[in-house]
Parts: sequence; C-alpha cells; structure tokens
Amino acid sequence: MKNDTATAASAAPRYQPASNYVDDAFYGWLNEVSLDLDAVTTQRTGRPDAALAAEIERLLTVESRLLDQHAYAEWLDLYTPECAYWIPATRPAGDPRAQITLEFHDRRRLLDRVARLGTGLAYSQLPASRTARQLSGLEIWASPGRSDEWRVRCNFLMAESRAGKRRVLGGWYGFVVRRVGDALRLAFKQVNLLDPDEPQGNNSFFL
Amino acid sequence: MNDPLPLAAGSPSWDWLIQDDRVHRTIYTDPSIFAREMNNIFAATWVYLLHESELPEPGDFRRAWMGTRELIVTRDEARALHVFANRCSHRGATVCREPGGKASSFTCPYHGWKYDNRGQLFGIPGKTAYGAEFKARDMHLARPAQVASYKGFVFATLNPDAPPLETHLGAAAPFLDEWIEHQGGADNIMVGGAQRFHLECNWKMVFDNAGDGYHVPFSHQSLLQMTNARYGGGDMSYFADADRSRMKLYALGNGHTVIDQRPDMYGNSAWEQQRPQPGREVFEAHVRATVADADAKRVLESAVGAGMNLNIFPNLLLIGNQIQVVQPLNAGGTTMHWHATRRRDADDALNTMRMRTQEDFPIMGEMDDAGNFEECHRGLVNFPEDEWIDISRHHETGQDVADEEGRIVGPVTSELHLRAYYAQWKRLMAAEPTLRASKSRIAR
Ligand code: FES
Ligand SMILES: [Fe+2]
Repeated sequence: MKNDTATAASAAPRYQPASNYVDDAFYGWLNEVSLDLDAVTTQRTGRPDAALAAEIERLLTVESRLLDQHAYAEWLDLYTPECAYWIPATRPAGDPRAQITLEFHDRRRLLDRVARLGTGLAYSQLPASRTARQLSGLEIWASPGRSDEWRVRCNFLMAESRAGKRRVLGGWYGFVVRRVGDALRLAFKQVNLLDPDEPQGNNSFFL
Repeated sequence: MNDPLPLAAGSPSWDWLIQDDRVHRTIYTDPSIFAREMNNIFAATWVYLLHESELPEPGDFRRAWMGTRELIVTRDEARALHVFANRCSHRGATVCREPGGKASSFTCPYHGWKYDNRGQLFGIPGKTAYGAEFKARDMHLARPAQVASYKGFVFATLNPDAPPLETHLGAAAPFLDEWIEHQGGADNIMVGGAQRFHLECNWKMVFDNAGDGYHVPFSHQSLLQMTNARYGGGDMSYFADADRSRMKLYALGNGHTVIDQRPDMYGNSAWEQQRPQPGREVFEAHVRATVADADAKRVLESAVGAGMNLNIFPNLLLIGNQIQVVQPLNAGGTTMHWHATRRRDADDALNTMRMRTQEDFPIMGEMDDAGNFEECHRGLVNFPEDEWIDISRHHETGQDVADEEGRIVGPVTSELHLRAYYAQWKRLMAAEPTLRASKSRIAR
C-alpha cells in the first residue's frame, strides 16, 4: 500500500515514458486514418515508387517475423515513440473515444504488456502461442499532404498453435509508416479481425 | 468418458454433490446437470438480460440470452420493453439473425411469417390455407413469465412463482445502488460497446472466480510484478496480503456476493493507484484545468472502477465500471460479455479515459484467469476418480460471521463466495419449478 500519494503530482516521473501525445487531436487523426484505410476506392493517389514499396514491404515482413519470434523489444523498436496499436471491437472500427476496443495501446501500455509477458508468469502465455503470419494484397499510398508518411493496408492470416490447440485468425492490418531519419518506422498499427464482435479466444500475445 | 453419476439412478442426492466445504466435479462436467441448470437456474430464477441504455430509441432491438435460450429484447414505439423468444411459431426458425439494430418488425426468413416488434404475429403468406383450429391457437412469439427492470438492469424469468425482482436482489440491491451511484445515477449510464470472450469451461468456473480474492497475488503476479517494476506499485497491490487488508467479502443471500475493495482502493486515491492508461496525463491536465479543485478527485476517480466485484447470481457481474454477463453454452463452454459503460453527464475526455481504463484488465489480467478456468475444467474432466473440488478456505477458522443485517461477512480470501452461491444453487436444483412462456396476444 502506498500512503504517500496525497502529494503525488499528475505527471510524476513514476509514469515513464510520459504519454502526452494521446490527446483529442491524436484520436481525431487515428479516426481519419482508420476511415481512409477502409475506404471503398479503386484509386489510391500517391503510390510509392518500386524501391520505396519494396522497403515498406520489407518493414512489414520484419514486423511480422519479430512478432512470430516473440522478439517484442526488437518489435517495438520498429515503432515511433508516439505510436498507437489498436484492435477495434467492431467492424467497421468505431471511434475509440466513445467505444470500447479489444485493445488500444500507446507506447507506454505496449511496454507494460511486453514487460508483463516478460515476467514469465503470464499464465495465458505459458506456453507461448506459436504464430505464423501471411500478409497479402499489400496497398501503399502517401498520407495526404505529406512526403514522409505512407498508409498501408493488407490482409493477414495467422496460424496459431498453443498447448496443442490450433487456430486461424484472419482479417486485415492497417499501418502508418513514417520516414524518421534514414529509417522507416511504424507510427500506427490497426488490427481488424474478421470477427471482433464475436467471442474471442486467448489473444494474449500481440496480433 | 466414463462419468458415473448418481443422477442417472433417478434420485439425485444434491446434499452429496454439494457439501458445506466441497462440491462434486460432475456439477461442472455432466451434460445432464447442465441441462437441469438451464431450467432450474437459468430459467427458474431471475436472469440478467441487458441494460436499458442498450435500447435507447423506439424500434431498437438486441439479442439476449437466458442460458441457452435465445431472446430478442425490443423497445416499442411507446418506449415499452418487450422480451420474446427468437423462435418462429411456424416451424421454429430463428426470426432474427442480427445481434442488434433497429426494426419495426421481424420477418422469418424461412416462409415469411411477420411479427411486430412486440413479437406479435401479424402476417402469414398464403393465409387462406389455414383453418379455424389454427386460428384459435396462440401463435405470437413466446414471452417469459416475468420481465422486470431494476434501475435500468433488465431481468427475466420463466418462473411465474419467482419472487419480485427486488426481493430476489435483496441485500445485493444496496450495493447495486452504490455501483449505480458511482456512475452518477441510473439515467447516467450508457453502455458503450462490448468485449466478448469464449471460454472452454463450465460457466461456474467464471462465477467461482468472480468472488475469489485468494487467487489475485498468484494468478495475476505478472501484472503485479510489472506494475511494481515499472511504476512502484499501484492497482490491486493491496491483494498481496488480502486477509489483513480492509477489504471484505459479503454473502448477500440468494447466491449474491460482493468483494468490497473500496476501503483499500479508495483509501487514499483510486486515481493515484491506477496504472497509467493511454492519455492519462492529458486527461488529468484537462480535469485540473476545467474542474474545481474540490471536485477533481471525484471526476478523476470516475475514470477508475467502482471498487467492487458485485456478483448477482447467476449471470451478472459488476466489476470495475463494467457490466459482465455470463452466458453458458454447454457443460464445457461459456461466453463472457464485458459491456463497457460511459457517463451521460461526462465530457468526452472523461468517457475516453473510461474506455482506456476498462480495456486494461481484460488484456492484462483476465486472459490469465480465462486460461486457469479452462485448465480447471480440463483437470476436472481428465481424472474422474479424483472427485471433489475443495471450497473450504476459512470454513473452519470462524472468520465468516453474520452481521446485524443478516449478511455473512468474511475475509476477502474466504471461499464463502462459493459456499454461499452453492447453497442457492442446491436449493434451485433440488426444486421442481414451474416454467412458463406465453404465446397469447398482448393486451393493447
Ligand atoms: S419457420 Fe418461420 S415462417 Fe416457417
Ligand atoms: Fe482474476
């Protein structure tokens, strides 16, 4: 029990890393991206050249593989400091300000989840889920008005095996990819399950 | 699987299956017991269906369940609620295939019989092929014997002899009132979506855990260790030495119980103890800037859970700010619905924060619980010769004591919760209740 909380200030260094970016504007941006990712359109403007498309595809391949390898620290290194990871509870996704999601994390809560799994005492991941992701149907286009940021949509199928049980999860991923210095980083990942509104099984790893 | 059962002999010995300090494994694993539960418990006593805020407008409907019985709940044009079976009066097809939405009528997709949103039959294609005997029959969609709402919480039962809902809630009602008060009152609650989980275990594994203050420091140690390592402690850390904490477990009668965490959770500030959720800093700065100092604590704490685990037997669990509903599927399968709540009087910032808070435990803790429930079920199935489930913790320590109000109060790690609800379970299972559904015309 803590008894000294009376004087604790809001942004006390106790909460690291500070998470000042999850504000109304950030949510507004996520909603705008979410709608754009799911837009019914035959024409995406701002398609990348072949070299950039290949670079983005490599990034997504590595992202998938690191998750399959449970290499969560390395996985998080692929993300920008002010990132978001969102699994809507509905199809199509609703506004996360008004509706519960299956998961919605800033970097800090992603770190919480990684640390929790890292204790070796998270029983839902003892044994850990083995996964293999297949991505397909990749589409890449530039974020409106930006030359350093792209939006990506692709389908995924994930085979999972844990404790003798096999499952297949499927749906589509949305990403925002940003040029940071020389590297490409992920600023946002949205996981749209086929059936987020139906009862889910043990998804206690990262999707 | 060989599963020797006293029930097969025709005279179930409920006293043998449910003893004061242990219960028999077959009550979790045997399909015939499950089938009896669906009548004697999930039809013969009050079962929670949904919250009225889920049907805000005339014409809204939602599917709901009494155990394995599927129902449609609607709000009609006069704002009255109706509850009827999702089962066509013709040859049995479900008339509604959507989880919810808006509809002024339901047309059965098989032969096209039409029902209004009170479940009343008003259209049959080719009606001239039916005769006088048919027309004399009640052919409206089947309605449970009793439906009642307690401050927005809608319950139903097929048992015409069930006591009034308020009597059934009994000593749980004051706690439910306090939970409602934490949300700013009955009209202030808005359900804001749901997380749903499928569990391969008997529904009672979930109910067992709902009043279990014993498992927390062990089952959730990954969460507690992480919180400690990253933030120097906080949320739920008071469960570490729970029997010496100020928390209490109450058996409230009729199978209802509550773990009251508030003395510890709200001892200093529930907001300060809360793990930092996404947007915490922005939200807190917003509250400090827009709310008078005297009110800030209350507003911040409204983003945090209500500090009780209130368990209304058999299927409603109020945990934090969430409304959890237990839906049994079969002896070894259960669906859990976690309905999130918002406040009508709150600004967007508070309601957003409430969403992030309510998402925390499901992924950080509930997953580990669910894994344990499923492994409990597997354990009970896989070695039938080991017959008993022990529920004797604090049974012999003399620490479960009756208070002036007729409740039994025990240490928070007492298995009093199980003993209390199993006493009710046994009463209901031994009874021979009347179950009734009506297909007659509703009086206008
Ligand atoms: S079963 Fe519904 S109309 Fe025939
Ligand atoms: Fe738990």
